[in-house]
This record gives sequence, structure tokens and C-alpha cells, in this order.
Amino acid sequence: MTPLQVYRDDGPLAAWLGRTVGAALRLGEVPLTLLGALPLVVALAWPLSALTTGAAALAVAVLVLVAGAASGRAEPGRFAWVTPPVLRAVEYGAFIKLVALTDGDWMPACYAFLALLAFHHYDAVYRLRHQRLEPPAWVRWAGGGWDGRLVVASALALAGALGPGLLVAIVVLGPAFVAESVVSWLRFVAAERVATYEDEDVQDE
Amino acid sequence: MSIAAHSGRPAAVDRAPGARRRAAAWAGASALLYATTADAGGGPAALLRLDAEGTTILGRLLGQLADLGVRRVWIVTRPAWADAVRREAAGAPQPADVIVAADIADDLRATADVAGRASDRLIVGRSDVLAHREALAGLLADPRVTTGVLATTSGRRGRWAYRTRSARGRMLSASSPFHSIRRPSHFFLGFLKVDRRDLATLEEAAGRLAELADGPGRARFEEELARKVVVWRRRRWQLARAAQTGLWPDPEEIPLDPPLDPADEADVAERLRATRDDAGAMLVVGLVRSGVHVSSSYLRNFFYARPRSPEELAEAQAELAALDEDAVLLDAAVKGADGFFTTYFVSPYSKYIARFAARRGWTPNVVTTISMAIGAGATAAFAIGSRAGLIAGAVLLQAAFTMDCVDGQLARYTRQFSKLGAWLDSIFDRGKEYLVYAGLAIGSTRGFGVDVWTLACAAIALQTARHMVDFSYAAGRHEAIAALPLRDLAEPDERDGPPAAAAETEAEAQAAEGELPGPAERAEPPEPERRGLRGIAAAGVRFITRLEKRPATRWAKRIVALPIGERFALISITAALFTPRTTFIALLAWGGFAACYSVGGRVMRSVAR
Repeated sequence: MTPLQVYRDDGPLAAWLGRTVGAALRLGEVPLTLLGALPLVVALAWPLSALTTGAAALAVAVLVLVAGAASGRAEPGRFAWVTPPVLRAVEYGAFIKLVALTDGDWMPACYAFLALLAFHHYDAVYRLRHQRLEPPAWVRWAGGGWDGRLVVASALALAGALGPGLLVAIVVLGPAFVAESVVSWLRFVAAERVATYEDEDVQDE
Repeated sequence: MSIAAHSGRPAAVDRAPGARRRAAAWAGASALLYATTADAGGGPAALLRLDAEGTTILGRLLGQLADLGVRRVWIVTRPAWADAVRREAAGAPQPADVIVAADIADDLRATADVAGRASDRLIVGRSDVLAHREALAGLLADPRVTTGVLATTSGRRGRWAYRTRSARGRMLSASSPFHSIRRPSHFFLGFLKVDRRDLATLEEAAGRLAELADGPGRARFEEELARKVVVWRRRRWQLARAAQTGLWPDPEEIPLDPPLDPADEADVAERLRATRDDAGAMLVVGLVRSGVHVSSSYLRNFFYARPRSPEELAEAQAELAALDEDAVLLDAAVKGADGFFTTYFVSPYSKYIARFAARRGWTPNVVTTISMAIGAGATAAFAIGSRAGLIAGAVLLQAAFTMDCVDGQLARYTRQFSKLGAWLDSIFDRGKEYLVYAGLAIGSTRGFGVDVWTLACAAIALQTARHMVDFSYAAGRHEAIAALPLRDLAEPDERDGPPAAAAETEAEAQAAEGELPGPAERAEPPEPERRGLRGIAAAGVRFITRLEKRPATRWAKRIVALPIGERFALISITAALFTPRTTFIALLAWGGFAACYSVGGRVMRSVAR
């Protein structure tokens, strides 16, 4: 996979949509992502009091269907870099909105969950940058991908169980993500391969 | 030769746990040096004598290389100078063989031969260079540079050097006596390090390059060199005319074979003598055009000169003696393109902490861990939820950030770059920041009765998405650069050149600015006219690039981007003076603006491309 594909963090659902629906679509990866994200962006900007959990879940469904269909393309192009940050922004935003809609008291758990997701996403970047290796597929699949996470979160929100669900996810995924990452770095330190350091001139480290 | 020895630094480094291992990794390095350039008097420039040190430029260099772990040396020289070079080589601290070569084609064949025999990394260099040991160490002993060159943006240091173009840490194009370049960004200072895995490519490229300069190819080679001489002469004429009339003459006004005054004529002749046998530059072209990832080690403020006469040597020695190598090394340990707050409020004192840590033998990873621990302390203080707690947290956060700068500076100062270090540094940076957000949110609920968890969630989402923009944009550029077609070695002109869009990074924009024309630079091609959206975007990119040229606007641009130093300062100040709620609103407002600014700029660059 190319780094940009790894950054997308697609789960099995998006991969399947890409192979089936996506293969039949003419539209490129970036337009599909932007189009799919549009309803959710509107939902995120919508006042909390005027938004229902059902409407938010519908926007999530559109995102998963349309942006998920662009999975697996690895289209090169001037704008290819746009997709991963858009997926991250709408994914993190959707979690915040869903928790706010269902039970705002769970916001600390939402923060912890976002911190865990952030670790998962930074980890992929740093491993590609320094080890020149992407995290193994099982880690991505265990995390469900942005698509899987959002579908499960929407279902839990509709069932009124998003807060406890986030706690369970933290307890189950947290140790798995961290342990797998640490093991990969220890293996890398012991290995013959040299570290690569690209983008030394990058501004904000 | 012992400039570095009395600074006390190497002894301190030797105590560091990593030092022995690193030295062992260097045991197999060897070097090939060209002593093929004539000085102004026609003798070998490498054998100009440094009377005070009782050696020659070559002898001094051999000592420096031995000190840096180069265990074996080959010196390529011309038949007339062979005996003198052999005498010098006999006194070298490491085994040094002399190879006699008649011309640049022979030099390249000798290089192919040595590359075939070398078993570990090979340094290819010039032997007429008077430089700081640390300037060479930056290339030789830095594990981050696997295959790379010593480079500078300084026209003064690169006076006799061929130019190169780099983007995002990778060399894209290089020039040589045979090959020309468009839109150069750097000067190649004659030293090239080739990783073991690239030796076969070097061998093959050197063999092919030798053919270009030999036999039936010889006439074409001389023709290209003559074309360069024409470019230099026309440029001289242009400069002289501008000095005379005060007006910059149009390119069409310049005669094809302009008359020059004797001083300019002598200057062009000297340039030709100093650059015509630059086999090293040919090899760099060979590696780049073979698809090898060639990175750069920058000279920074270290000394480098290629004296061409005893007078120039005396001047160079005087300048070298006036520079404090350890001070230059410490300055070079400070990251080149950093944020405003870091550059002016942290690095000026954190570098002394880095030197202190180096003398104590601390490793960068220890400092990174200390920084994380202080960051956890700041989190705990913020979480108390009192004014005193917020102030203590603000101070601790600044202490943690200082140590965060120290670890990188210590790593660069002592060249201790561990595989774990870069990751630990990155992950702890993020960890610290996001822990502090949580601490502030806890403190706000406990002490101020305000629930700001939603704001904290928004802040972590925004910051992660902002980083993801940086990472993705960089990855996209790397992909585009890696996909560029490779040009054949036998093609002298870089015809279609790079896209006319602006430089990739700020550093490159600065580098591309106002330098003297190098020996192999072709005249700029006219920029293609662009219409519509692309034209507007290109104008926007030009505007942004222009902002880079003035320090005030350059710093303003960097501050707007809210880099880590500014972010941590913003957290500390707003938390100490106001409440955590204010901190998050400030982070979201400024960060949101920064996100719009950076995404807008990158979209514009992408449109213009």
C-alpha cells in the first residue's frame, strides 16, 4: 500500500465497498470523499438542539457508503493528499457529535477514545517514516477502520449505549495498539535495517 | 588537526553509551580522494603547504578522515604529481594507495574499480579542501545520511562547486562538467558518501560516465564544457556591463562571444581549471540519474574552502583559526527551520543545556524521557484545578518543552541518532500535549466548575487533523518526486526541467535566492504562461514564496501556522493568566485559522502544479 492509502485507515467494510460499489463508479477518490463527507460536515455544523441522533447516523451512513467506495484506489494526483485529513476530521468530529447528542457526560471517555485513535494514526505515520514499514493488516482490521468504527458507533448511539461502548473499545483496543507498536519498535531496534529520516526540514515536529 | 580535541567534546561523547557501538559501525569505511585539480600556479592544489602545521592540505585531510574512522584511502592523481602525492600518502595515518590517472575518464574508471572492491561505505572526495573536521563529520558520521553529499547554499563556500537541486531532502538533479541543471538550489561541496547497498550502482554509473568522457565521446564532452565556458563569459560580461551602466542588460544584448577585460578573462580561466576535472560531480549525477536516494548534509556555518594559491591558503587559515569549532557545532545543533518561539526564546539557552548534557554523557533518549516526565507533572498540576496549579502547570510545561528541544540538539551535537530516538521523541511530544489537554479539562471541572471536555475533544481532533494535513501533503509530494522519470546519463541538458511552481519548502525558497551563478547553470527557461484558475493559483504561490524572502513576513508566516513552540507558549500563558476554557478557545481559534491558512496554501500549490 502507498503511504496515503495507509493514512486513510480503511476497514474491511470500506475495502469491500471499494471493490464492489467503487469499481462501478467513475468519480475519483477525492471528489467521492468530499461528496461523501458533505452531509456529515453539515450535521457537525448543525446546532445540537436541532439535530437528532438518527440524522447524524444517516450522515455517517452516507459518508461510509460514498467515501468508502473510494477505498483501494491509490490514485496518484495533485490532490491525493486531501483524502486522509478529511477522513480524520470528519471521523473525530462525528464521535464528538454523537457523544454530545446521546449523553454529554461521556465526553471524558470520548476524549480518551480520540487520544487512542490519535495514537493509532500517528503510529502508522511514524512507522512508515522511520521503519519504512506499515503496521500489519490485523491492527487496521482490529481497529475496524474509520468506516467500521463509525458504523458501530452510530448503531450504539441509536441504541443509547455509545458511552459504555467507547469504554469497552478503550479497554480492548488500547493495550492492543500500544503493545503491538512497542513490539514493532523493539523488533526494529534489534533488526539490521537502518532508520530513514525523511523530511528533516519539516516545520512542526 | 586537533581543533576538536581541545574543545573537550569528543572525550565527553566517548563516555556516552552509544559511542563505542557507533565507532565499530564505522570500522569498514574507506575513502577515494581526487588530487586532480591544479592550483593557480599549475601544481596540485592538494599539496599546498600549511607551514604552521607542517603538513599539506591533503595531509591534514587524511588526518581528519582517519579521526572519523576512515581506515583505508585511495588517492587518484595525475602522472606529473604522482611522486609528490606518494610521499604525502606515505605519511598518512591509514594505508593510502596512489592511483595514477591521465584524465577525468581515467578518474572515473579508477572510481568504478574502487567501488567494486570496497566492502563497506565509501567516501568519495576532493583532496584540496580545507574544512572543519565537524563539517566532514556531518556527512561521514551522521547515520541519517546513508548515501548523500556535503552541500551548502552559500555562494561563497560553493565558489568552485557544481550545483544541485533538492526537494524534501532528496536530490533531484545535479550538474557536472558534462551535465547542466535548471533552477539549482544547492552547491555540491565535493564530498559524497555512498552506502554499501549503492556501491554496485556507483560502479556501473562510474563506468558509463567514463565512456562519456573518453574515446568517441570525448569531443562531445569538450563541447559541453565549452558551452559552459560561453555561459560563464556571457555572465561575466553581463555583470561588468551592469556595473558600468547601472542597468541590467537584456539577455538578447549579450554577445555570443563577448569581449572581457583581462581580470574577468583570468577569472573564467581559473574557473575552468578548478572545475573541469570534477569527477565527483559526475558521480553525483550518475547516482541521481540511476534512481539512488541521495540526501544532503549541510555545511551550516562550518568552514570550507578550496584555496587555489599560497595567498588564498593563508587567508583561509586565518579565517579558520578565527572560528570556534565547538561554538559552530553547538549552533549547528539547533534545527535550521524552526518556529519563532523555539528559535528566539528556547534554543538560545537550551543549546547550553544540551552541551551540559553531552559532557555528562546523557543520551538524547534519557532527556526525551525526562521531558515526558515533566510533561506528566504539568498535567497533574493542571488537573489540581487551582490558580497555583495552573501557574505551576504552565511553568512545568515550558520546562518540558525546553527539554524537548534539548533532546534533538543533544542528538545533533553528539550525533547520537538512535532508531528508537526519533519515534520516542515524536510519540512523547504528542503524548505530552494530549495529556496536558486532559489535565486542563480535569482541572476546569474540579476547580472552576466548568465542563470543557467537548472543547478538549475538539482541540485534539483539530490538532491531529492539522498534523494529518502535513503528513499527507508530504507523502503526496514524496510519491510525486519518486515517480519522476530518470534521465539518461548521456543527456547533458535537463531540457524540460522542473515544474515552474515554487520551491517545496521554506528552506529551499531561501536557498534558491540570490546566489552567484554556479559553473553549470543554464539560463532560466521562460515560465509558461498560465490562464484561469491555474494562473491565479500560480500568482498566489509566487506571493507566498515572496513572503519567505523577508525575515519579518517569513516569521509572521511561521507564527501563524501555530507550531509546537507557539502552541505550548499559548497554553502556558492562557492557562496561567485565565482559565482552561480560555486556553481551549485560544487553541481552537488560532489552530482553526492556521488550518485554513495551510490547507489554502497547499490547495493553491496543488492547483498551480
